[in-house]
Amino acid sequence: MKPTAASSGMSKGEESKFKRLFVEIWKYRMTYTLLIPGLIWLFLFAYLPMGGLSLAFKEYRANDGIWSSEWIGMENFKYVFRDPAFADAVWRTLYINIIKLFITFPFPILLALLLNELRMRRYKKALQTAFTFPHFLSWIIVSGIIINVLAYDGLVNSFLALFGFSTINFLGSEQNFYPMIILTDIWKSTGWGAIVFMAAISGIDQEQYEAAQIDGATRLQQMFRVTLPNIMPTVTIMFILSVGGLMSSGFDQIFNLANAATQNVSQVLDVYIYRITFQSSTDFSFSTAVSLFRSIVNMILLLLADRAAKWMGGDGLFR
Amino acid sequence: MKVNKMFSVKALFLLALSVMMVLVTACSGGGSSESAAGTADEKNEDGTYKNNLTISYASVTDPSKADMNDKFHKYFTDKFNITWDYNYIDWDSWPEKMRLWINSGEMTDFASWNYVQGDAVKYIDQGLFYKFPDDWKERWPETAKAYASTGLGERLEEKVGGTYVLPKPVYFQNQPADPLLNQIGVIALRKDWAEAVGFELKDAYTVTELMEYAKLVKEQDPGKVGSRLIPMSFNAGDLLTGFVMANNEHARVESAFYKGEDGKYTWGPADESTLTGLKLMQQAYKEGLLDPEFYTWKNSEGGDAFKVTGISAIAGLGGLASYRQDMDNAMKKNLDLDSSEVVHEALILGEDGKYRNLEQVNFWSSLVFSPDISQEKFERIMDMIEYSVSEEAQRILNLGFEGEDWKEENGELVSLLPEGTTLEDKYPGRFEGLYVLGDDFSVINPSIKKEFRDRSVELYKEKAALSTEGGEMAVYDWDFQLYTSRSKDQANFDYATEYANLILQAGDLEENWKKWVESKQSLVQPVIEELNNEFAQ
Repeated sequence: MKPTAASSGMSKGEESKFKRLFVEIWKYRMTYTLLIPGLIWLFLFAYLPMGGLSLAFKEYRANDGIWSSEWIGMENFKYVFRDPAFADAVWRTLYINIIKLFITFPFPILLALLLNELRMRRYKKALQTAFTFPHFLSWIIVSGIIINVLAYDGLVNSFLALFGFSTINFLGSEQNFYPMIILTDIWKSTGWGAIVFMAAISGIDQEQYEAAQIDGATRLQQMFRVTLPNIMPTVTIMFILSVGGLMSSGFDQIFNLANAATQNVSQVLDVYIYRITFQSSTDFSFSTAVSLFRSIVNMILLLLADRAAKWMGGDGLFR
Repeated sequence: MKVNKMFSVKALFLLALSVMMVLVTACSGGGSSESAAGTADEKNEDGTYKNNLTISYASVTDPSKADMNDKFHKYFTDKFNITWDYNYIDWDSWPEKMRLWINSGEMTDFASWNYVQGDAVKYIDQGLFYKFPDDWKERWPETAKAYASTGLGERLEEKVGGTYVLPKPVYFQNQPADPLLNQIGVIALRKDWAEAVGFELKDAYTVTELMEYAKLVKEQDPGKVGSRLIPMSFNAGDLLTGFVMANNEHARVESAFYKGEDGKYTWGPADESTLTGLKLMQQAYKEGLLDPEFYTWKNSEGGDAFKVTGISAIAGLGGLASYRQDMDNAMKKNLDLDSSEVVHEALILGEDGKYRNLEQVNFWSSLVFSPDISQEKFERIMDMIEYSVSEEAQRILNLGFEGEDWKEENGELVSLLPEGTTLEDKYPGRFEGLYVLGDDFSVINPSIKKEFRDRSVELYKEKAALSTEGGEMAVYDWDFQLYTSRSKDQANFDYATEYANLILQAGDLEENWKKWVESKQSLVQPVIEELNNEFAQ
């Protein structure tokens, strides 16, 4: 017997919605078929591994594997919260990322706005390439360069000494550590980050500029009255995504630039997870518990940022 | 209808292709594991091995300059009819890599593993190491003797109910002193510079005396090194040994938890004597006696400043004669200096004049086997190990071939290698000394200058005398070492980095140290409680 809307527990509206969806899928079945590999990939590599998060509540034994290891409830979290280095790492991560968010976030927007104003196509392309290039260098290479440039016997201090100035302890100073990671982050990621905003700018209807020009708007006024408002939805989404990553600070950058002298300001959560996973006695359950905590906080921050964006009248991630 | 038919063919093809691609991607890279069981190793009538086996081995010996077809390597591959699949692990990433490989079940057939008690018990419990057959000691008796000399092997057997790990004996036939102390804590100083600045040469100095020498060198620059001069080229690890351990033998990770006079466990880094060492460290740093960026140095950079670039007056050396020979070679090669003329070896004393060091338990690192290793491979490797322990093999491993690289004259071993060269120069990347460490043979190895060997033994004896006559020796506490718990694992700190950080921090050192001690209590106290409940008198 064919199930009716009432017998399947669905209202007529819901039933027709599902029917419409099915018809829609059938209509574009070739396109949907192409989606299958992506969905399988997503399932295998993004959702299936999430099962491993159960390790946070287990005592992992390699011979039992993830699924058969013994459940121990919240025991791992008891050990996580007992370690003062963990709480320090959480606050330090948030501190660094909030500073990074407010200082580095506007740079790609600014760069995109400025590049958009350039009229010489070749010059614009050359600049864009130059700004984007650092993104493709790994942090290990960048750190090597920074260390060679800023070391006591490095380029900067050699110049300072040459002109009679006293040398500066760049690498071993806690005060210099945050400026160093922020500046290197800006240098490395601004060009790459600007690509998204450049794409958003290219989608702006040219008629808006023409109208603004007829109204006598200057280039600067066009930038602030036309370009910027048009890319605000993109800015909002990028901001929300950045907030969602507040608990994950660039491991490669900090790990490679840190040393014993800056240990107190560089032990962020990612470095802490690395240390407890690979540099001390093996305990994957413990590491997973810390990672899970980080992911949950990141998710909460993301949802809060989404709500805040909607509350302020913008578009959120989830509509 | 036509459309539907096309759809079904195309769609099915696409679907099948995508599923296949994803599955191939997802499943690729998984190695096939051999069965742990299998047949016993077969031999020909003449005693040679029937089948050629490819054996994978991971260790920290750098094979980059090795020629696997040279006489040395071929001798072993031919003798045991094997082909090596050698996996080099960089020293700095050794513990990490081994952790990853062992936990992921991707271990080589056998490997040199930096033994960690807590990990060992976990790995054994989880079946990640191969369990030796019960009769292995009868089948490979020389190996069993060397194994027994380590002290650890049989204790671990009692705990876990079988043999899973072969701890590597440091000394087997040639122990230089009794009690045996750790080789660490021997420094090299430029004696030509000491003479030039009027500094007295002695067998042992307090840290303050060494700093006095460093100051004199800094002021007078007898080597005309200029701004590159590093009076004391100590890295964070050398400072821990030379400055802090010299004042508190319980300042290191090996002996940080120890039983006090009251029979109760306590934590050494919180002792006042640790602060004494830290104050000296900070003083040396502030007075410019250390490199301004010593904390960024990797493993060998401190020693290189002494023996390669020749810009340092004092460096950590270690007590093995082989280290001294390496220094001699490096100075000859890089600085054209005869190290016997310019290097003086000495010990470091605490500020109270007492000598402090750790009792050397007779093992360092270990050999472990993959749980998936075949019986045939296991037996072949054990045969190799058994041979490597023999006197004949020890001579080949450490001296080369008789008549070609060495000879015996009036009962003495004489090296035939050209002056200034070593066996490593002739046969680079020798990793076949699988079990007994080179420390043992270095005591009698004629390719190491006799004066270096004699001095090494002399210093071992002096350490033993100093530590038992008024000095302090951190005894190897088997109760603590074999105890495993999660709290103990968690209270495992990198003391060299922690101490370096403390002396570099702004503010008052004593206050910072107290805060640091306090901050560690939430991890340290549970361990102390556990140890006291378990072992306190």
